[in-house]
Amino acid sequence: MNKTAAILSLALFFAAPFAPSGASAGEPVKVGVVLPLTGTEANFGEIEKLSFELALEEINAKGGVKGSPISIIFEDDGSKPDVGRSAIEKLIRQDGVAIVGGGYSSSVTAAMAGVAVNNAFPLVINTGSADNITEPWSYTVSGQMATKKKKAMTEETDAVKKEALKKESDELTAKAEQEAATIMPRYAIFRINPPASEYAGGVESLLSDVIKPKTAALLHENSAFGTSSATDVEKRLAKLGIKILIKESYDKASIDFKPVLSKIKAANPDIVYMVSYVNDAALLMNQSMELRLNPKMFIGGGAGFTMPEFQKNAGKASEKVLSATLWYQTLKYPGAKEYYDRFLKKYNRDTEYHGAEAYSAMYVIADALKRAKSLSKEDITKALSETDMMTVFGQVKFVAYGKKANQNKGEAYVVQWIKGELEIVWPKKYATRDIVFPVDWVKERQ
Amino acid sequence: MTTMGKGTIAQISALAALAVIPLAVHNDYYLHLMILALMWVVIGSAWNLLAGYTGQVSFGDAAFFGTGAYTAGLLVIHWGWSAWWGLLFGGIMAVAIAFPFGWICFRLRGAYFALATLALNEVLRHVATIWESFTQGMVGVMIMQTYISKLPYYYIALALAASSIIIIRLVLRSRLGYYFLSIREDQDAAESLGVNTHFYKMVSLAVAAWLTGVAGALYMNYMGFIDPHVVFSLHDISIMAILVGIVGGVGTTYGPAVGAFIMVLMQEMFRTAGFGYIKAAAKFTDVPFLISASEQLTKGHALGFGILVVLVIRYMPNGVVGDWGKLMTALRLRKAGTTK
Amino acid sequence: MDLFLQTLVSGLLKGGLYAVIGIGMTLIMGVMGIINLAHGQMMMVSMYITYSLFAYAGVDPYVSLIVSVPAIFALGLFIQQRLLNPLMRADTILPENQVLMTVGVGMVLTETMRFIFTSDYKSVRTAYSSSTFFLGNISFSVPLTIDFLIAILLTAALFMFLIKTDLGRSVRATAQDKEAAVLMGVDSERITYITFGIGSALVAAAGTLLIPVFYLYPDIGGPFTRKAFVICILGGLGSAVGAIFGGVTLGLAEAFGATYAGMEFEDIIGLTIFLLVLLFLPGGFKRLTKV
Repeated sequence: MNKTAAILSLALFFAAPFAPSGASAGEPVKVGVVLPLTGTEANFGEIEKLSFELALEEINAKGGVKGSPISIIFEDDGSKPDVGRSAIEKLIRQDGVAIVGGGYSSSVTAAMAGVAVNNAFPLVINTGSADNITEPWSYTVSGQMATKKKKAMTEETDAVKKEALKKESDELTAKAEQEAATIMPRYAIFRINPPASEYAGGVESLLSDVIKPKTAALLHENSAFGTSSATDVEKRLAKLGIKILIKESYDKASIDFKPVLSKIKAANPDIVYMVSYVNDAALLMNQSMELRLNPKMFIGGGAGFTMPEFQKNAGKASEKVLSATLWYQTLKYPGAKEYYDRFLKKYNRDTEYHGAEAYSAMYVIADALKRAKSLSKEDITKALSETDMMTVFGQVKFVAYGKKANQNKGEAYVVQWIKGELEIVWPKKYATRDIVFPVDWVKERQ
Repeated sequence: MTTMGKGTIAQISALAALAVIPLAVHNDYYLHLMILALMWVVIGSAWNLLAGYTGQVSFGDAAFFGTGAYTAGLLVIHWGWSAWWGLLFGGIMAVAIAFPFGWICFRLRGAYFALATLALNEVLRHVATIWESFTQGMVGVMIMQTYISKLPYYYIALALAASSIIIIRLVLRSRLGYYFLSIREDQDAAESLGVNTHFYKMVSLAVAAWLTGVAGALYMNYMGFIDPHVVFSLHDISIMAILVGIVGGVGTTYGPAVGAFIMVLMQEMFRTAGFGYIKAAAKFTDVPFLISASEQLTKGHALGFGILVVLVIRYMPNGVVGDWGKLMTALRLRKAGTTK
Repeated sequence: MDLFLQTLVSGLLKGGLYAVIGIGMTLIMGVMGIINLAHGQMMMVSMYITYSLFAYAGVDPYVSLIVSVPAIFALGLFIQQRLLNPLMRADTILPENQVLMTVGVGMVLTETMRFIFTSDYKSVRTAYSSSTFFLGNISFSVPLTIDFLIAILLTAALFMFLIKTDLGRSVRATAQDKEAAVLMGVDSERITYITFGIGSALVAAAGTLLIPVFYLYPDIGGPFTRKAFVICILGGLGSAVGAIFGGVTLGLAEAFGATYAGMEFEDIIGLTIFLLVLLFLPGGFKRLTKV
């Protein structure tokens, strides 16, 4: 038994990647979805997976795609870009899916997008938000360099050098456009969620119309998301003429923010803007309360400040804090509240904007599959580019603007924790309550 | 060592087999795994040269890997050069980093040395994260791959893996090899016999750093995306290098190569719950236990992998190659007590 | 001035907790000469025990010390006896296998917790989690202050143990010179696993003390392990007093670094101090003291 067993198992081992995926002819339409199902971001990955499944159930109950059901093959990226790459490769090659969805963390999504572009394969992103993912120029060498030269040019004071930089960046831009021409035929990346740079859109008008601060302190966690959001916020604040007194980044696992918060207290800015995840958000607000830091307003960007966990962990300290968000169940989009309720009932846990993104992504994918003339990647890509539908996340239509291509223009809202509930307070046309401002923090923290 | 005939034939046929695989197998997913495995052959062998043969157990090889990767990537986005130049300059930059690295770490021994390498690894990671203007920080570096097909990458990786093993063998056969071993066995005795231990440790480190840096550059070219968290990762690169060396067999020439393939395939097998075999078997035989088993395996793949690591270290501390006899006896492929 | 004082207070209080984390590791390193890279993970397991007791039985963290500390002590005993000691006997080329085993153990601990509890962030919010008291304009976090006091108590208890009891003296003897201790009749193997147990129990206490003011997820161990060995090196391996100095120094360095240089430099400051001490003051603070 023994020698043969050893050889057999070794053979099995090396033949392993050829394993069947359990599919045979006359099968449902296969869709691949890559999410962080294990690892540090598994929490959100799980919410998105459940949302995909909820939508899938509904779609298949209504007949699926032209009578055939859709089946999803989930792949775990473990929050690692190289695993994400393996995953999407496996889905495209091994499993023969028609289309790939998902993409939570920006770095993993970027790696996946690279593979998709190489294979001219349709990829529908619903959460990864780094701007450059839907900027075809970023996939070209010259484009990246042109951007750098342009930036250097705007910062250059010497006229002669400035002129030289402009010439260089123009040359590179022309080269990039040529290179882009080779990229575009293979560019089938579509993104439903707005890019990180647009998250703060709602906040901007709120600042200029209502709060009107003169100074600000900016704090952000240092991952790709936090960094790109912060860069964007910095630009918006500068545009509004708001002076940034302190800008610092921190590592997600930091325990003690008191030193930097004390520094902020000493500088006394009008607003404190933080881009954080759930736990650092709770810690920041708690420690601000402990230090009696009372600016005119606290504003959060990023998922952290809108999660129920934030309110639970920060308690009193979360009250009246504003936050930028991409979705909330009280928005008047058809099915938004129903989605929230159904999710809660079925899975006995809350959902939030990531879930909504995933849920609508499934609908967008199904819609495209229905309209596509065939299941070839070209036809699916064409169908995707013609998408124009309403989802629980809002209207989805993929357009090109600025440097972006195939990007959906989402809305950004501002919410506020009022009496332990999250209310949409801005823009006025979506608001469910009026904003509470100014805030008497001492009274709130009683 | 082994006799000329048997050993060389085995080596050449292995190389030939590896060279032919992509032509026979048109499966990109499989090739992807093989490319990763070949990359780890380079990194593991490099680590082994420093640790297995020179006795300096580094916990910070990601420092060189990341340097190589970033060299390749930054050449592209700052100066518009092709990232392939990184294969040359990545190695050079990694050696440049090796000098202060060695200067700081080699004055320490044992546990202190290991900790120092770990600390330097972390320092580089933080520098890459903070120095946004140069490295783009956590946003990372993204470039487009030169080739759409995997074949070129496969052959380049294979060439690198083969060359690294050849280079290491040459080094070990030379005088350098003797000096390294003497340092490993008893550094003070070697020093007292007139061996300039610091110099030779640096040589060993330089070679290891160079190879690892080149591997990093290959990674940049192949993956198209890197960020500090990935390429300077303590767990995924530095410790993985050690595991590759240990599982394969420290202080053996081919140990790391074997270890590289085992680790890469094992990890993927756990991640996909047997490459989908279990799920397929479940569908085929309609046994619900198998379906839930495959789901649990996927959910706990990292756990399964960790347990495997603990077991290997506990029962096969000399690795697959080092403890080959023990392994064969355990699998009952050889009678207990026979020598190699 | 307020900013300076507030930073000082932050650093000191944090440092007290760091000291407890560090003492555990320095004891292990001093007695056995191995780096325990699973140290932070032991703390993480202790935090999960505390969390479970709190979430499912409403037990206050300070009370759950009675459970978490002995539990992790037992875990430490088991790991040392079953997994690490056998390696000391094995015939391998490199003695570093023990360190790698701790890496493997750390991985298993992390993934087991993840399997049971998922990666969800958990937190323990007690009534006093955000309580503060003020001295003038300076805010003191109540839980952190209590932790600081408990840290002092634990350290004192440890000293009593090491100096007054037979077992404690055997531990110190083994740390000073293992071979001589064996010649004197000390069962060094037993000492190694008791030490590992004690070291782990200490970091378990630190975890329980920390959880009311921080949060919990499976990967939380790594950064703390790193801080632990910075503290050990600062203080000198095997020196409990050194670990206290090391912990407080690290806490202060991080706090002042965050305030005056910027929060992004927090970790690098610790690492730089670490390297500087490795290079220029090998042996750490211990050199300057006797214990």
